[in-house]
Amino acid sequence: MADDIHGALREAIRTILPDVECVLGWGSGPDPLRSAPLFMKSPEDVERFRAGELAVNNLAVFLPEYAGRKVGIVVKGCDSRSVVQLISETLVKREEVVIIGYPCRGVVDVAKIAAAIGLGNEDLEAGLVERAEVNGDTVSVTVRGETKTFPFKDVMAAKCSICRYPNAVLHDVFIGEKAEAREDSYADLEKYEAMSLEERFRFWEKEMERCIRCYACRNACPLCVCRDHCVASSREPHWLSQADSTRDKLFFQLIHATHLAGRCTGCGECARACPVGIPVGLFKRFINRAAGQLFGFQGGLDPEAVSPLQRFLVDEPTIKEKEWK
Amino acid sequence: MSVLEGKERRIIGFLCNWCSYGGADTAGVGRFSQPTDLRIIRVPCSGRINPLFIIKALLSGADGVLVSGCHPRDCHYAEGNFYARRRLEMCKQLLPAVGIDPLRFEYTWVSASEGQRWQQVVTDFTAQIHQLPPALRFSESPDLELLRQCG
Amino acid sequence: MNAALKFLPHEHLKAWLEELAGTMRVLAPQKEGAAVVYRAFDPSREPELIRKPTESAKHILFPRSEALFAFHKKKAPFAPDSLNPDGSQAEKEEPATPAMELTPPEQPGPTVVFGMTGCDAGGVTTFDPVYGGRYQDPYYLQRREATVLIARACNEALSTCFCTWVGGDPANRRDADILATRLENGWLLEPLTERAERVLGSTLLGDAGEAEAREAEALHAKARAAIGEAPDLTGIEDALPALFDDKDFWWSESAACLACGACTYLCPTCHCFTITDEKAGLSGVRLRAWDTCMAALYTLEASGHNPRGQKAARLRNRVGHKFAYFLKNHQGRISCCGCGRCIKSCPSSVDIRRIVLNALKRAKGKEAANG
Repeated sequence: MADDIHGALREAIRTILPDVECVLGWGSGPDPLRSAPLFMKSPEDVERFRAGELAVNNLAVFLPEYAGRKVGIVVKGCDSRSVVQLISETLVKREEVVIIGYPCRGVVDVAKIAAAIGLGNEDLEAGLVERAEVNGDTVSVTVRGETKTFPFKDVMAAKCSICRYPNAVLHDVFIGEKAEAREDSYADLEKYEAMSLEERFRFWEKEMERCIRCYACRNACPLCVCRDHCVASSREPHWLSQADSTRDKLFFQLIHATHLAGRCTGCGECARACPVGIPVGLFKRFINRAAGQLFGFQGGLDPEAVSPLQRFLVDEPTIKEKEWK
Repeated sequence: MSVLEGKERRIIGFLCNWCSYGGADTAGVGRFSQPTDLRIIRVPCSGRINPLFIIKALLSGADGVLVSGCHPRDCHYAEGNFYARRRLEMCKQLLPAVGIDPLRFEYTWVSASEGQRWQQVVTDFTAQIHQLPPALRFSESPDLELLRQCG
Repeated sequence: MNAALKFLPHEHLKAWLEELAGTMRVLAPQKEGAAVVYRAFDPSREPELIRKPTESAKHILFPRSEALFAFHKKKAPFAPDSLNPDGSQAEKEEPATPAMELTPPEQPGPTVVFGMTGCDAGGVTTFDPVYGGRYQDPYYLQRREATVLIARACNEALSTCFCTWVGGDPANRRDADILATRLENGWLLEPLTERAERVLGSTLLGDAGEAEAREAEALHAKARAAIGEAPDLTGIEDALPALFDDKDFWWSESAACLACGACTYLCPTCHCFTITDEKAGLSGVRLRAWDTCMAALYTLEASGHNPRGQKAARLRNRVGHKFAYFLKNHQGRISCCGCGRCIKSCPSSVDIRRIVLNALKRAKGKEAANG
């Protein structure tokens, strides 16, 4: 990401700093490839701010914690949609958040880079990366003293190659030239749907086996706002057993997906957060496609919008009910 | 083990109290013969039905789930079935994501006077489920397997 | 000592594991999707012995959920007037109180784990004083006794590795049953406990000598160097309690925490559990399942009060338990083995090393200020 945009972003953050409790942005993580959320309270903190291709976290997840206090937030396009959705659901007050947007050309998928680094037959860990740099259309990564370069598009997160809203959809300040939007035809689902129903069932049975039930998928989701009151941990009603059972683990994913129907903004944090790499984002892709086809709705575009499942039409032209002869 | 094991499928029906449950009753009073695979659970309104009822039933081994409420515009609570229609359609579209045939789940509207329509719905849906193979089961976790052994 | 060293040529590894699988359960890390997890050894696949397993090995001894027993309530039998086989009138039974029948679960037999990392073995020995000390946990102890742990020495360190900070070592001789080092031509196996004998009798294993031992030592030294110098954590067990009420500190350290359980469930030393009954009709199973102090429910009291209602209090507990409370209960042992999974797999990159160092610094600062 260009230095002048970084400079202008830091300047914008410093400008709003006196008016807010803190500004949410990104700083460096445990290694050069990973970033971590940064909570900026002083101008010195702002020096550690970095945005761009490595700034993967969706910081909107923290906003509801700050209810009643005014904060600033730096957003990519996808993050801004989460903020908008939260505002539309009255979980965040518009006047309590200052939104700083910038053009996002996509973020990296650390798992893809880790797989791409492979020296010989080995998969390597992001944790071996000594240096990481994004220059225009390439990513250079140094491991064991050896530098490898790959095209950025090969290691970009899947959600970015189909991103329709790379620029903040709602913002108070926008820094930089707007980035170009991409198209999403749900081609990934078509590929998945080439599998038979039984293959899909067995696929999930296998994938969910390694789920450790840490609920990182849930807690990283900016719209999973029940937080400490999730039905997954409830004994009454007893939706899930405590057993380490594939069925219960998969059922939780469907609980998550149904609760996001007509709300999900497709930020992909659920899948990114999964420590064992289960592609849980797929369920949300299904509901998002359905919300689009049935109700022409995409989450997080309009702060005044009402979720399609909270309204109805007396005659639903798009719902094709079964005809009983 | 039931004598009908292998002949019958497990079908769960969620019926609203005001129309469809009455419709099923009308069918019974009228002695309309129906397949016996369906087990009915009465709920106050189709708007009461959480899509998770359906998903949980299907993941737990039900071969089919049928939801029936009052006809649109006829809801006892005025708009419960309008909301239900959107939720249930969304739920139906999610099922293939986990490899569950969407034909295993249908929702419809039957009024309290429509005994004959109820008979038709049950007959058609049961036939639809019988055309599908029995529902796929998960390999059970050893902990719960122990429960099955002693149960 | 060196007389007991064994050498396993690379080409014999799978044959050896297959041979062991004939008489015991053999578990090894296996690639699955983007993760590396422990699975039953499959001769048709290569075990993953380079990447650090994504999950720790603790579930092998302490499963994510385990049935402690199943119960079945037996209703008193209906006792009508009846005749004995000899035709005399049988004595009428008093209606009995319902009987409770308990079924114990089957315990897995002999097991060997090949290819866990040294830090994971360190996790196991932090379990030992908890489940095998003042309170004896038969479920854990039975598995522990039946399991041979073969740890592999690390040849390099990830950015998140810090085993040397907490008394560990890339070549962990303290905690495993066997230390395995990957050499140029094969594995050097160094028995460390009596349990090691159960798996080292194979004819596929040769003897190893000074040359192999020296080669291994050089690799160990290289890995130690890669982790870098460990900071001095002396006094951490007092620093953390001293900061117990320091809200600013814990709020700022936990700001990025999502309060999920990835850190605790991937942690080789976290050992908390919850017990619940899963019932169906007259039968049920009493389950013990992992619990996490990062969840609100962990400390929620029946009154509705939650002493750790905020994520800051929960994070404080996690760090405090590992670096202070556990030390005081268990002879100064830190209940962190430095594997770094909580950092590496944290969706928000919360870094426990940073918290510990900041705590030391802040406590020192406070002490100085108080004179």
